[in-house]
Amino acid sequence: MSLKTKLLLLVALSVAASVGAVAWLIEARTHETFRQIEQERTTALVNQFRREFEHEGDEITRGVDTIANSDSMLRLAIDLSNGSDYASHVNEAIGYASAQRLDFLDLIAPDGATISSAHWPARFGYKQRWFLEPGAPRPQPAFLRHVETPQGSVLALLCLRPVHTHGPDFYLIGGRRLDTTVLGSLFPAEGLRVSIYSAPEQGPAEILGAASGVPSENLMPLIQKVMDQHGEASASIEWGPELQQEQIVHAIALPGYSDRVPAVLLVANSLERETALEKSVAKVSLLIAGVGVLLGIIGGGFVAARLSRPIKKLARAAAEIGQGNWDVRVEPGSQDEIGKLASAFNQMTQELITQRERLVQSERVAAWRELARRLAHELKNPLFPLQITVENLLRARENTPEQFDEVFRESTATLLEEVANLKTIIGRFSDFSRMPAPQLQAVDLDELIRGVVQLVQGQLARGPARIETELQLGDLPAVSGDPVLLRRVVENLVLNAIDAMPQGGKLTFRTELDHANGLKHGSAVFELADTGQGLTPEECGRLFTPYYTTKQHGTGLGLAIVQSVVSDHGGQISVTSAKNQGTTFHIELPLWGEQVVSI
Amino acid sequence: MKHSRSRLLAISCLLLAAAGGHSSSRPHYGGTARVLLQYRVNSIDPAAEEDHPATRDRMARLTFETLTQVDPQGRVHPRLASSWRPDPAKRVWQLRLRLASFHDGTTVTAADVVASLKNAEPGWRYTATDRQTVTIETPSPITQMPELLAVEKFAVVKRLPDGTLLGTGPYRLSQWHPGEHALFTANEDYWGGRSYPDSIEFQMGAGLREQLLQRQLGPYAAAELTPDGIRTLDQSGQEVLLSRPADLLVILFLQPDNAGVAGRKKPIDPRLRQALSSAMDRDAISNAMLQKKGSPASGLLPQWLTGYEFLLDSAFDRARARKLAADAGLGVPSPPISLAYDFSDPVAKLVAERIAFDASQAGITVRPYGESHVNSKSAQASMNADAVLLRLPLASLEPSVALAALAGDLGLAPETASSALQAVRPEDLLQAERKALENFRVLPVAHVSQALWLNANAHNWQQLPNGLWDLDQLWVEGVR
Repeated sequence: MSLKTKLLLLVALSVAASVGAVAWLIEARTHETFRQIEQERTTALVNQFRREFEHEGDEITRGVDTIANSDSMLRLAIDLSNGSDYASHVNEAIGYASAQRLDFLDLIAPDGATISSAHWPARFGYKQRWFLEPGAPRPQPAFLRHVETPQGSVLALLCLRPVHTHGPDFYLIGGRRLDTTVLGSLFPAEGLRVSIYSAPEQGPAEILGAASGVPSENLMPLIQKVMDQHGEASASIEWGPELQQEQIVHAIALPGYSDRVPAVLLVANSLERETALEKSVAKVSLLIAGVGVLLGIIGGGFVAARLSRPIKKLARAAAEIGQGNWDVRVEPGSQDEIGKLASAFNQMTQELITQRERLVQSERVAAWRELARRLAHELKNPLFPLQITVENLLRARENTPEQFDEVFRESTATLLEEVANLKTIIGRFSDFSRMPAPQLQAVDLDELIRGVVQLVQGQLARGPARIETELQLGDLPAVSGDPVLLRRVVENLVLNAIDAMPQGGKLTFRTELDHANGLKHGSAVFELADTGQGLTPEECGRLFTPYYTTKQHGTGLGLAIVQSVVSDHGGQISVTSAKNQGTTFHIELPLWGEQVVSI
Repeated sequence: MKHSRSRLLAISCLLLAAAGGHSSSRPHYGGTARVLLQYRVNSIDPAAEEDHPATRDRMARLTFETLTQVDPQGRVHPRLASSWRPDPAKRVWQLRLRLASFHDGTTVTAADVVASLKNAEPGWRYTATDRQTVTIETPSPITQMPELLAVEKFAVVKRLPDGTLLGTGPYRLSQWHPGEHALFTANEDYWGGRSYPDSIEFQMGAGLREQLLQRQLGPYAAAELTPDGIRTLDQSGQEVLLSRPADLLVILFLQPDNAGVAGRKKPIDPRLRQALSSAMDRDAISNAMLQKKGSPASGLLPQWLTGYEFLLDSAFDRARARKLAADAGLGVPSPPISLAYDFSDPVAKLVAERIAFDASQAGITVRPYGESHVNSKSAQASMNADAVLLRLPLASLEPSVALAALAGDLGLAPETASSALQAVRPEDLLQAERKALENFRVLPVAHVSQALWLNANAHNWQQLPNGLWDLDQLWVEGVR
């Protein structure tokens, strides 16, 4: 990842994080505010329900009191207590209930037998004893209880009143149905829904009102909780699959006649508006974040470009210097740290050039010294016999002519031989200095190696020490090279290897194709391994240095020439060796068709 | 002296009052008797299927006459037939017609009677022996043929090609609006003499509330009552005519045990039907729901008619009912029984709800619901209910005839009717009734009285023990 991209990402992330944090804060605050509003609205509605509940209860109480205190009811109760037939009064309650607008009215005998039931006359004779049980409370205000009707159990707001006679009391239980009509009279604010969970002692429970369509399994845990605790609680509940809305539901246990909770008030507050606003905030935040990120990318891109441009120039300049172009310079451009870095780079480059020139100069001097030393060494060897021979001739003039002639013949022969030796030495130096440029063409390296091996095969077999050869050729494609020079390379390496194995051994010729070197078509690899005495690491490091040799009669130019040829072909040569484990020369050559770059 | 004068004045006043009273109690012709009927009747034809046949028969009796008639004491008297004579085996009956004419002036002939009787009972063989003699031959002996012929179903009706029905009765049908209104005017040429009122007008389908309003405000002579209205009227000193508890309130299970008709529900297990019978608190139904205007029924015929009803078992036993219901359900709650009742009958609704309540106490679920038509066979055939609560009139004061008629109304096996008609001793009748009840397809609930409010200006309104009206001597006072 480039520096510019990193800078860009850093800026964009910073902007996005900042905007996201601000949006989250706004959303959290909005959420909290809505919760407070929702709480207030719910409380208001619950209070309204309680007022309606009390008002309805008061009306029912008033109605039942009116009936219980009426003269006709008193007369009826007295008649009944005097033995009047209950059956003849089976329809009495209907008229009373109608007059007081009561949905339910039971006239009950002292033993609990129903004398008359306005809502279910067929229940004549049925005994209701729940309010007669010892210890059962006799509530003055109205209370909630389920009333049995022909259609099933119905939740009702009831009032219980005794009708006093001279004997045991008769009872009146009257009330009204608590249904969706009562809930509808509450006129809840928009978004609020009121329901009542009705749980009769026998028969299935039901939900009256807005929550009637809500799956009961969503509400039941909350309802069960408040019924168990006789208190209130709230929870966030999914309001049915078709509504797909989340609601905050407040559940309040509605007390009944006994400890058992007969019903639970459910006030659901829709989070639709809050959700919509939160979505809106989220959208705006997303938009701002998007714009921020876009601006961050643009601004960051601009800044990153300004910052990275001189660094890029520096990197390019460094790369060019690495490739040998020492003349490259970087314009400082500004006075900031980047400008100073560019100036320092230029200064460093200049310093490197100066150092390099000094190094080249010193190396050149060293090379000349080495050359002089080698020349002195090489020339000194033949000069000594020449001096001795000439001195022998001078001394031979004092001998007899016959002796002089014999000495003269021997001395002239020696002189000629040593002069020839000098010429050979001078020729070799001349050859090294006049290394020709390679005439590149497609060369079958395998075939070339086979030719060399065939040439030296006889010599190897005839020698005092037997040297075996092994070919492991990889059927290489043609390489790009000069066949004469490459043959000379292979021959030099073979002769070098033979010298390294005076006691005999094994020469292994190996070729293969290498694709892992970055070249388009790959390169050819030629390895020549001997089983000689090997080289030390220090010897390996100096092996290709001209005039360096480990042999007693070597010139130290053979491997230097080999390296020069390989280099001129755009190839590379290296050596691996370990003492007493032989030496392997490793040459890589470009295939025919690859662009050859001479180093 | 002063005392003597006062006594003289008082005696004079009493004599004047007596003289006035005597003049107002003397029958006189004219006037219209307006009657409110509880139910609606769609056809006046006695042979036609009708939801409320008792109501229809009350009107039909005015215009269509039977060959015989039964008085309140159950004695048979001649009507259109002046005399009759059976063969020794009681299979062939020869009836001599009196000289009478239909309302169009044509004379009643034996052929007319044969045609009418064929329509009522196609299973018998009829012969017009001569112009005035009809011979009836039945497949099996019928001891009570004269009583049977007094049933309204056997009324003589002349059916004209245009659909008009002609009778021979004391009133002719002047206006007929099915289900709404009927006007009968006096037949001047009636063989028994002209009736006192000029006409009798019926208003059908009047609700209880409307009845009460009309009674207080309108010029009605009479109105049918439901039991809950009786008490109110009793308390206000109004005259209420009550029949004997004659109508049979009965649960009829519609699916026979071997029903395999596609689309119909499975028949109710006989044990469950028996359980329902035991679960019903018939006393509570009679005393409370029917306001003691009925009696618990354990048989099809009432105790006052047969004297043996108490021998039939229908005791209220909730524990037994629970056990039977549990046995029927094999541990599983028994399926609900849908019970249809007459939507227009508030008493039927009340009784059905009580039955459902009693059943629920025994662990049986009964779901009552109102149906607009429950009595006719065609309505029952198309009904989806498991059972229906019927109110069937007592067709005759002769027990065997009444049982045979009930067997027909309830769709019981023909053997029930034939064994009833062949019964000579009460034991035979009891046996026939037991046979009819043994599979609990029919559960008698109560015998119900028919109640009628009678205006003080209506006189000689005769109500037979089974609730039928005999208006031959009716006259109305001061109503035009």
